[in-house]
Amino acid sequence: MKTTAQARAPKNARKKLSKLARREELQGYLFILPWLIGLFGITLFPMLFSLYGSFTDYDVTSRMNFIGIDNYARMFADDPLFWKSLYNTLYYVALMVPLTTIGSVLLALMLNEKIAGMRVFRTIYYLPAVLSGVGVYFLWIQLLNPSTGLINTMLGWAGIPGPAWLSDPMWTKPAIIMMKLWSVGGGMLLYLASLQGVPSQLYESAKLDGASAFRRFWHITLPMISPVIFFDVVTSFIGGFQIFQEGYVMTDSGNGGPMGSLLFYNLYMWNQAFGLFNMGYAMAMAWVLFVIVLVLTLINLRMSKRWVYYEGGDD
Amino acid sequence: MKKKRFVYPLALVAVSLLLLLAACTPESRSSSGTPTAATGEEPKVTLDFWTFWGSETRRPIIEKIIDDFNQSQDRIMVKHTYLPFGDIWTKNLASIAAGNPADVIVNDYADVNLRASKNQNTDLSSYLAEDDIESRFYPELWNNVLYEDKAYALPFNTDTRLLYYNKEAFREAGLDPEQPPQTWAELEEYAQKLDKKSENGYEQVGFYPLWGDFGVDSWLINGDGGNGYFDESDQAAINTPGKVATLEWLKSWQDRLGRQTVDAMKADFGSGVSDPFISGKVAMYIQTGTYNTQIEEFGQDLDIGVAPIPEREAGSGHWSSGGGFVVEIPKGAAHPEEAWEFIKYLTDVDAQKYWAMENFDNVANIEAAEDPEANENPVYQASVENLADTKVFQVPLSASGYKDLINPHTDAVFLDKETPEQALEGAEKDVQALMSKNQ
Repeated sequence: MKTTAQARAPKNARKKLSKLARREELQGYLFILPWLIGLFGITLFPMLFSLYGSFTDYDVTSRMNFIGIDNYARMFADDPLFWKSLYNTLYYVALMVPLTTIGSVLLALMLNEKIAGMRVFRTIYYLPAVLSGVGVYFLWIQLLNPSTGLINTMLGWAGIPGPAWLSDPMWTKPAIIMMKLWSVGGGMLLYLASLQGVPSQLYESAKLDGASAFRRFWHITLPMISPVIFFDVVTSFIGGFQIFQEGYVMTDSGNGGPMGSLLFYNLYMWNQAFGLFNMGYAMAMAWVLFVIVLVLTLINLRMSKRWVYYEGGDD
Repeated sequence: MKKKRFVYPLALVAVSLLLLLAACTPESRSSSGTPTAATGEEPKVTLDFWTFWGSETRRPIIEKIIDDFNQSQDRIMVKHTYLPFGDIWTKNLASIAAGNPADVIVNDYADVNLRASKNQNTDLSSYLAEDDIESRFYPELWNNVLYEDKAYALPFNTDTRLLYYNKEAFREAGLDPEQPPQTWAELEEYAQKLDKKSENGYEQVGFYPLWGDFGVDSWLINGDGGNGYFDESDQAAINTPGKVATLEWLKSWQDRLGRQTVDAMKADFGSGVSDPFISGKVAMYIQTGTYNTQIEEFGQDLDIGVAPIPEREAGSGHWSSGGGFVVEIPKGAAHPEEAWEFIKYLTDVDAQKYWAMENFDNVANIEAAEDPEANENPVYQASVENLADTKVFQVPLSASGYKDLINPHTDAVFLDKETPEQALEGAEKDVQALMSKNQ
């Protein structure tokens, strides 16, 4: 609505807005009103409320006294479970993000080949991404069964004695990561689309210059799909830090699993908020997580300048 | 000037938000006493009663009880609201905070004191002063609803754990089916006789203490003279000789069977026909009294017996552990007096006896629990007798959340990462640290 010309016009230009323009402006705001209400009422207000709440001993029903940085101090200095849950979450994110990214790129490369019946394969590999929720976790509890589960049965064929996935704290997180790898189909689809957008003349000229298949992949394919990789990495980072259900559903009554190895950050936060009613403390935890994710995303953005290639970009 | 451009739309947003809020504000709650002006009688009060009893078995039972109450008088009308177990506590919390809670709710026995300290339930002492019904409940359960010596809930049901054993398996192993094991030593001896091993592993395991519904926490009570994690003066009493010995004993079972066997078999356990005891994979199994209804449904051919939990040594006590649910009036409920009438009815003999007979669930009302008609079922009778040895503990407020600190240590014992002594020492230290922070 605001054109450059208007912005550059002298201050009193405002008065020159016709009745029609004013009405249109008003209508514009009316149209975005639902979104504005959502932003203020459902996002901004709760966020600010929780920021304030994180400096109080809020327990929802009986008190909300300002206690300064006590919650934060306790978290960092005095709460072993905070560190354990943070460690569990970082461990999960650090392995899950690269593995699922590499997994979905490789899968997309394979499914980008032009052979008969490819549509069927694409459908099959995409299917797990459609399934979600608690049903999948129960399926995986079956698959991970140490004696009769499919995974250990297959490991057994190769002569490898499979671990007790969900009861051995060393293997619980790898088991969850494996489960996530199973549903890389969603990321695969993005890569597949961008792979098909890579101009074929680039490959042709590289071939003429005698570039090997690997070099063509490294110097053409990867740079060309790097914006999608970047998008995928950022979103899986953020999604990874939100892990909650897996720890809640796949352990006995959400207790965090053997030796607390599946006590993820959000699970612990939930327990504090709704089990012990330490809502102020949980709010402080939420803000610490927010800052961690924000910093990591900013680092990601900064780093991206070195490796993400935008065709027709400004540098 | 430029600013002004935003004033109008912002004002519009603000007004809309206000309107939205106004629309959401409950002017009069639907559940709160809408007068029925039909006849000239006194207006009826409608109570909203929240439970998580929505199953095919339980829903008709609780609704019959509600119906009976509604028929018994014409002043109060109770409406049943079923909420899934996963939602009911968070909904309760939110509705109390919003100021329009249920009138009566079924809640967990374990945190009555925590909820009371957080203003989530109603102090019942003024009603009790006029109408003292304390004596109708088991004292163990009554202690549990107290916070600073005032009652904030009424006990509704409870449970206890018993040793179920397969008489047929006993006969096969040459054991007397009328002589269940009494002590830990006998339990071990019997279990080894009941083991059936083939080249592919165990076909039948006589007993494994941590399968079934009697976890490490419960065994530590059983082996430590009926004492829980906290002593009379609310101090942590986790690293005691009795508990160390118990944990060592539990670990010895895993050492004998092998961790892999235990993990692998446990992962195969299901419910119904694939329940390990019903399907004959385990010959002795600890479960609650209501487990018998599953046996009756899925294992009609089983010839079973029940016995108290074996004691550590003759005379140390057949201690078992229990839990249950209470009925309470959320803080801020609109009709506490009528709600009190209703929870009084819920915990009185008729309702409690009906609940016990239809469910084989243990109830908090002593007279109803010991009613001869309800006790015709031998397993139910055994569970009622077992209540005398059943411990139900109230956790000191400063130790809320202590289980997350103890469990990793006891887990570590069974993974050979800590010895029982180290584990309980570490657990006690961690819990003490938590309690001193919270004091």
